Amino acid sequence: MELANTLSTHGESKGGVLAHLERLEIHMNRSRKKLEEPQGAQAVGSALGTKIQKLRRLRDKLRAEVKQRQAGVKASTANVEPDQTLDMSEQEVLERKRENLKAILQAYRFTGLSGKLTSRGVCVCINTAFEGNLLDSYFVDLVIQKPLRIHHHSIPIFIPLEEISAKYLQTNIQHFLFSLCEYLNAYSGRKYQADRLQSDFAAFLAGPLQRNALCNLLSFTYKVEPGGQSFPFCARLLYKDLTLTLPTDVTVTYQGMEALSTSWEEQRASHANLFRTKPLHQVFTSFARKGETLDMSLVS
Amino acid sequence: MDAGLAEVRALEAEIAALRRACEEPPAPAEDAAGGQKSFQEVYQSDSGGWESSEDLRSHLGHLESELLFLSALTGINIRNYSKKTEDLTSTEMTEKSIKKVLQRHRLSGNCHTITFQLEFQILEIQNKESLSSVITDLNIIMEPTEYSELSEFVSRAEEKRDLFMFFRSLHFFVEWCEYRKRTFQHFKEKYPEAVHLTEGASSSCMGVRSTSQPGFELVIVWRIQIGEEGKVLPKLDLLTQVPLGALELDKNRVTETAPLSFRTLLGVLGIEATLESLIKLLSTEAND
Repeated sequence: MELANTLSTHGESKGGVLAHLERLEIHMNRSRKKLEEPQGAQAVGSALGTKIQKLRRLRDKLRAEVKQRQAGVKASTANVEPDQTLDMSEQEVLERKRENLKAILQAYRFTGLSGKLTSRGVCVCINTAFEGNLLDSYFVDLVIQKPLRIHHHSIPIFIPLEEISAKYLQTNIQHFLFSLCEYLNAYSGRKYQADRLQSDFAAFLAGPLQRNALCNLLSFTYKVEPGGQSFPFCARLLYKDLTLTLPTDVTVTYQGMEALSTSWEEQRASHANLFRTKPLHQVFTSFARKGETLDMSLVS
Repeated sequence: MDAGLAEVRALEAEIAALRRACEEPPAPAEDAAGGQKSFQEVYQSDSGGWESSEDLRSHLGHLESELLFLSALTGINIRNYSKKTEDLTSTEMTEKSIKKVLQRHRLSGNCHTITFQLEFQILEIQNKESLSSVITDLNIIMEPTEYSELSEFVSRAEEKRDLFMFFRSLHFFVEWCEYRKRTFQHFKEKYPEAVHLTEGASSSCMGVRSTSQPGFELVIVWRIQIGEEGKVLPKLDLLTQVPLGALELDKNRVTETAPLSFRTLLGVLGIEATLESLIKLLSTEAND
């Protein structure tokens, strides 16, 4: 393919000490940039602040050390140049190649889709994640014959597998698999949010969180100040599109007596907006942050 | 305290990376996966002895065909991959039987004509009951492409550290682009007089010119958008170019309402039939 050329310019295989150091430097610069942006704006809590200060000092020390090493290495690279592959026997070259291939095959799991050949076809593994958290995986064992057939699978019953396979399995296998990924990742994401709400923010909930198997209908009663005397809010979140992790319909109602007062109405509306735009556990993190005065043991 | 915690995490990650850079022997730099293992190690882990070159070759053949199969199945080619792990378990953690490992992965490849290079870190924490794996840092480098839509999407994927969304949306995006290209090419071949692809078939615009009335032109702008949650959706718009004189005669304001009618038509007929009917509208005039 014509891509071979463009790719080799990345120099992955050319390696070399200099290239490596260069990469390290780029990486460091990038993290530095990321770190420096949010600085200043936030007033960090004192304990956390000290920790950050300490870490920063350590980092700066290490950076200096790495730089020193770089200088040393640069000076000595001239002597290390001779091509090592010359000394390798054919056997060794093949071994190296094999290990490399094995690693690449394993790396497919990071695309969300990986597979293992079976005697009849392929067993596809679908990985799910939500915002960086790697969650459950599912498998679909496909028999490769005409027509393509699903032999076994671990897809939950409430995922519309039949509908998706009827649409795409015979005509576009890639589309079939990625659609399944979309549904499964969205389900995992919704479930993760509901689980986090239950486990980390139980103190805010006035009663159990109710959800259906698909986790696309959640309803719960909550207070913004845990243990406070205020009346609770009732939220009902509906995710009509099963491939999404943010709700399509949000209803928040206030159960208090002074339901008509504007401050409560404002709060109610702002909550509804938060639920529509942010993952559930993040909304509650922000509630917890607002109630800075409240007992921190309830939140952690 | 999210920002603070995030900074602590980022600092810790950087410190870990720097520490490693310090400890690393300076000579053989990062190589393709497995390259750093001594050969002895490889034999021990694999077969427990020397293999004949023939066996090795056939095994290689198997692996190669498996790789071809996987890339056909997913539409994603992985060309290079390497991984480094670092044990972050402190003695205090060992006492509580907690294991903490930081993996640094580098991966490059392509999906159709779009090439990518990824660097990400996964922090694995295992205690007695559970194992949690979290992507703590994701960097995506892409070669500049003709698709400007991708860059915004890439930064969103980085921000959310959503590796799977990146690949999923990239796949759907490329699929739509290929479909758009095929559709444009199809109409160009079918109606070579009326259809103009001035920016090539891969661009987002297709012009349709009246064959009998010079000056009348429709431009179909077909964008492919990637939404907040990585959803890929086509967005089609109609632009009209009508000579001024004709505009004055347009009492029913057909030109003005055309973009809206175009939307309605799309909803009813779908993309291909809508485009076909528009082209026919302008090219049949020539036959009258």
